[in-house]
Amino acid sequence: MTETRAASPAPRLLILDDEEAIAHPMARFFRQLGCQADVACEAEEAAALVDHRRYDLAILDLRLNSYGGAEGLDVLREIRRTNPGTAVIVLSAFVSDEMEVEARRCGADRILAKPQDLPQLAAVAASLIGVQLG
Amino acid sequence: MGRRCLLETILEPGSLRVLFQPVFEADAGRMRVHYLESLVRGPEGTSLEAPEVLFDYAGRKNAAAAVDRACVRTILETARSLPPGATLGINVHASTLAHDPEFLSFLGDTASLHMIDPSRIVLEIVEHAPPWDMAAFRTSLEGLRDIGVRVALDDVGLGHSNFLMILECRPEYFKIDRYFVADSPRDFHRRVVLASIAELAARFGGQAIAEGVETRAELEAVRNLGIELVQGWLFGPARPATQPWGPQVMKWSSL
Repeated sequence: MTETRAASPAPRLLILDDEEAIAHPMARFFRQLGCQADVACEAEEAAALVDHRRYDLAILDLRLNSYGGAEGLDVLREIRRTNPGTAVIVLSAFVSDEMEVEARRCGADRILAKPQDLPQLAAVAASLIGVQLG
Repeated sequence: MGRRCLLETILEPGSLRVLFQPVFEADAGRMRVHYLESLVRGPEGTSLEAPEVLFDYAGRKNAAAAVDRACVRTILETARSLPPGATLGINVHASTLAHDPEFLSFLGDTASLHMIDPSRIVLEIVEHAPPWDMAAFRTSLEGLRDIGVRVALDDVGLGHSNFLMILECRPEYFKIDRYFVADSPRDFHRRVVLASIAELAARFGGQAIAEGVETRAELEAVRNLGIELVQGWLFGPARPATQPWGPQVMKWSSL
């Protein structure tokens, strides 16, 4: 089973959020800025994606309450194991000091509170991956 | 557990789809279809549409065997639309054969339901995540052979498809990954590896299949090494069962 994929210069983003009403509009917003954006609603789905695709940036929701199973931090660890060059923004509605320390220890580049204004998020993303978006 | 997860969607009837890619036999200036490999795609519009992501996800959910069964069910249902008598290649994880003792009866029953004789099935063994129970794997393979299923070992030479697996599977078909086929016209060492696998296959009483043949030069290189079974984009993309298949022979000169 061999798959081939054409390379693209557009920045590639992974968005992990169990709330589809947040993940899909965010993906649409980044696509309008010229990015390629994949959406995952479960940690296992996101982990499978990072195992097979190289992302410039991952935006990970820390708490995935809807499905049970693995969490955003597990995906962050997977990213650091497989693609250490991927920039990571962690989003969470409830960021305690302990969670922030743990996310940083796992290699998060930025930790932001939810909800996050999309243009502001795009500015952080652009600074992390070193490209102008839009 | 809250709302429906993707795994439930995958296991729902109708959520998977199947494309077929022929393995051709190069014979006296003509390419004849030897069998049709079934290639499953995950739910449309999701990230799991890509098979490598689908099976990785299934493994992480500890559901590889359940997803393999869903794939087999979908393939055998879809095969109704193929030309009568077509032989089917079906990918199954070695871990499924080792861990799912009912897989043999499931395959036999599902094939019978769709009036497909098991002798028309080539089970392509893939594996990405050992360890698993070798004794149970062997028993499962013996049972499959008893009902007429043939065995292909996928990705020979890569990852876990190594000499150990060759000995355990004794495959009728040795599928050689594109890694070895690409650049073989220019790379002497790749041709040495290809020739050695082809000879090994023959000594086991089997046949080598060169996967991922994309150029005429690659086709000629593998044929010059005695590999008569070939598969790849040179002969066209994988396609649905419902597309007309036409004559199952392609003129050599048309490639």
